[in-house]
Amino acid sequence: MCRRTVLLLSICLCAARLSLQAQEFKLFDRQVQIHGFASQGFVHTNDNNWLTMNTSHIGSGEFTDFGANASVQISDKFRVGAQIYDRNLGQLGGWHPSLDWGFADYRFKPWFGVRGGKVKTTLGLYTDTQDLDFLHPFVLLPQSIYPTDIRDATIAHTGGDVYGALPLQRRLGNLSYTVYAGHRSDSIYSGIAYVASQYKFYYSSYGGLQYGVDLRWNTPLKGLLIGASRMNEDLTAKAKFINPFNPGGGFIPDAEHSKADWTNQFYGEWKAGKLQIDSEYRRFVHDQVDEVAGSTILEAQVDMRGWYVSGAYRIFKKLTLGSYYSRYTLTRATAGPLAPLFPDQTDTSLPSNHIYDKVIAARIDLNKFWNAKIEGHFMDGYGNSTYPDGFYAQVNPQGFKTNTNALVVKTSVNF
Amino acid sequence: MRNQRFATLAATLVMFVSVYGLAGDVRIIANPSVRADAISAEEIKSIFLQERNSLRDGTHVEPVLSKGGPAHAAFLKDYLSQNDDALQNYYRTLVFTGKGSMPKALRSDEEVVGYVARTRGAIGYVSSTVTLDGVKTLTVYRAENDGTRRLIARVEPLYPVILRSNHIGGSVRLKVTIAWNGTVEDVEVLGGNPILGEAAMVAVKQWVYAPGRSRTIAEVSVPFDASR
Repeated sequence: MCRRTVLLLSICLCAARLSLQAQEFKLFDRQVQIHGFASQGFVHTNDNNWLTMNTSHIGSGEFTDFGANASVQISDKFRVGAQIYDRNLGQLGGWHPSLDWGFADYRFKPWFGVRGGKVKTTLGLYTDTQDLDFLHPFVLLPQSIYPTDIRDATIAHTGGDVYGALPLQRRLGNLSYTVYAGHRSDSIYSGIAYVASQYKFYYSSYGGLQYGVDLRWNTPLKGLLIGASRMNEDLTAKAKFINPFNPGGGFIPDAEHSKADWTNQFYGEWKAGKLQIDSEYRRFVHDQVDEVAGSTILEAQVDMRGWYVSGAYRIFKKLTLGSYYSRYTLTRATAGPLAPLFPDQTDTSLPSNHIYDKVIAARIDLNKFWNAKIEGHFMDGYGNSTYPDGFYAQVNPQGFKTNTNALVVKTSVNF
Repeated sequence: MRNQRFATLAATLVMFVSVYGLAGDVRIIANPSVRADAISAEEIKSIFLQERNSLRDGTHVEPVLSKGGPAHAAFLKDYLSQNDDALQNYYRTLVFTGKGSMPKALRSDEEVVGYVARTRGAIGYVSSTVTLDGVKTLTVYRAENDGTRRLIARVEPLYPVILRSNHIGGSVRLKVTIAWNGTVEDVEVLGGNPILGEAAMVAVKQWVYAPGRSRTIAEVSVPFDASR
């Protein structure tokens, strides 16, 4: 795997270098742009293994991703494009490339446009750019809001967006909006499938209807943006599982659905010269029902809340320092025959129901296309091992320790 | 002899003031296919941030950037209110989420002029000292109150002969107070050559804007192109 990673990165670096000179070509008299990125990270933790990697002991380099896109402006108002994305993060991703986005976009007016296809979901400040390492001062965005192990849950939908930006009268700034609806389709190599596999639950599909709205206001105060997002979901999943009370009975088909999942997110960003301060709050309520042959075997209501405050300052032209504090809590109430396996969890002061993460980071821009980052995470709590939030029982068979310190290093290129 | 000395001294002074006043000045240029003669600063910002790709009159426009230099730095500060790194990150966000493309970026003012001259709808920026061939210079106005006011009658300023013959040009920035009925109430020079400023004031006082809901204060840039 390591050799494969090195080979891939070498190819990407060569491609990036070549493409810096030849990233545009003409096709049917239209200018086609090609862009791409690749990154390689390394994570070392003192105790618990993190993000499905074996990060304790000597650490893990199974932290690679890349993407490439092509886009073309067909007419003044019409553009099309697509991007592929692939990653390997410990036990997740597994080098299965996917269409990251691919859509047609028609902008009738600055205040009214439509997109159709597979579209990146607009939710908070960074959901649509969370994979784009080179845009952010941190290797890992605050995991309370942007959990990288379940990126598929929010990254894109197959459907459509209506969007636009409206200047407000009397110098009140401008208002951008996105309204969307579509189908969310999770990879079976994501954290949701992985966490379920510890209970001999094996998903064959996971996804469903996702619709929502995002409003963001560029305020008259220079550099200040505030916004709010709302997303509703109606998810279904198909799986097979082995009944823990009758292990010899073989696989049983399972149907799972969530009656009314919803997410609320509120955010603010302030940029002043070399300083950038962000803050976000997200609450996600997941309302899950599992059925076998029409009978309910488990009902679970999970309530996740997260927030963070981050700051980054470009101290020199090539050096940016940053820090954030991220806070994540989870509570759960269950009912049904399988409820004894998933007892209620209500006390968020327990390390099994929270992760508080203090981070310091440094980013070095080696040139316009290549950067390197290093950051330290000091985490209190390990979250709930029955929900994908970074710490998984499969890679921590010895059990969890309360605190985890992590060193994360990553380099990325883009062109 | 005395008069000749005085004329030489005056010309030297004018030249000094001109160069000093224009340092960092930016001229907005466009391909002749762009119908508009004037453009608001807000429109420039939204075009270069790819929030719109046409002007109010429907003309398609394509933004063209410089890769660096004083004109680029001044343009980012005056019109986009951000530094080059932030702008590049902004474009990368568009490119990698499929919401836009990387605009053309050229190495020098001369390359920008050449590209804008031969590309339909192209709009760019150069320093005010560059020779302009095959492009038009757009007047820039800034609305400070309740939105932009459409210019409906424009009077071109008289270019003082002594300055034109000495190839002294550049842009003059003016603060214009527009009455609700569209007439110009007051004009104040904010920057640029003072002699050109006087000429611009005389002309701008005769301009007529579309009626608005209230008095509006706008910042206007009037170009004097010595190469024409």
